[in-house]
Amino acid sequence: MKNQTYCVAMFDSVSHVIKAEKILKKAGIPHKIIPVPKSISTDCGVCVRFLPDHRNAVTNALMSNVDISNIREIIL
Amino acid sequence: MSITINAKGLACPQPVLLTKKALESNDELTIHVDNATAFENVKRFATASGCDVETKKESDGVFGIKITKKKENQLNISQPAEHIYDKDITAPTGGPMVFVIASNMMGSGNDELGAILMKSFVNTTTNLEHCPDIIILYNAGVKLATVEGGAVDDLKALEEKGVKILVCGTCVNFFELNGKIMAGNLSNMYEIADTLSTAGRIVKP
Repeated sequence: MKNQTYCVAMFDSVSHVIKAEKILKKAGIPHKIIPVPKSISTDCGVCVRFLPDHRNAVTNALMSNVDISNIREIIL
Repeated sequence: MSITINAKGLACPQPVLLTKKALESNDELTIHVDNATAFENVKRFATASGCDVETKKESDGVFGIKITKKKENQLNISQPAEHIYDKDITAPTGGPMVFVIASNMMGSGNDELGAILMKSFVNTTTNLEHCPDIIILYNAGVKLATVEGGAVDDLKALEEKGVKILVCGTCVNFFELNGKIMAGNLSNMYEIADTLSTAGRIVKP
């Protein structure tokens, strides 16, 4: 589980995360809700984590449905 | 003295309670149960109480469990807590740290937000400096141990770290999640109440 490269997608609000989760669940794209990593922000936020392989699928699924504020690659 | 108990048709936690009671006055007993949860619970209780356990599958989904007290444990059966968790409850912390997850939502106010927060909480728990010793999942909290629950990989990671995870069997039945629980051990009210009452610290998100 350790030292795996992931992408994390950040959103402007928790309701956007909830909406994104619903869309990704429906589309069957593997993802996970995690707290925003401390190295990115110390805000009390949640984000969507997924494997870099699914980056295109995630952005396509969310495009024109939810605004992603930022996607970062991170080693967790 | 050896006795035989018929616990067929009884739901959890009855078979465990009957076993506990019978062990108070008998050194050896055989109990018959007819469901997998009761079978696992009785077996685990007996092992945790320091008994020898022999099992055999009988006809029509009936299991026979033969339980024999080990000599040195004959006096300790009335204090199962210490044996179940192998913890010194007189230690400075006073007992194990127990996380109680009574819902698949954290807090109340908005259910969708609550579900997001709980997943985030379980994920964070895997990185805590002071991991819980035991996590109890009950009521809708058991949903977290299913693939759809969004926390099963975190719960598995916690188990690998040595965290004991108790999943309420009654609740699993109620939500019709039999066979879908992918982390933790199915447990019963006896063990859950015992764990809560001997905990050094209880954390309830």
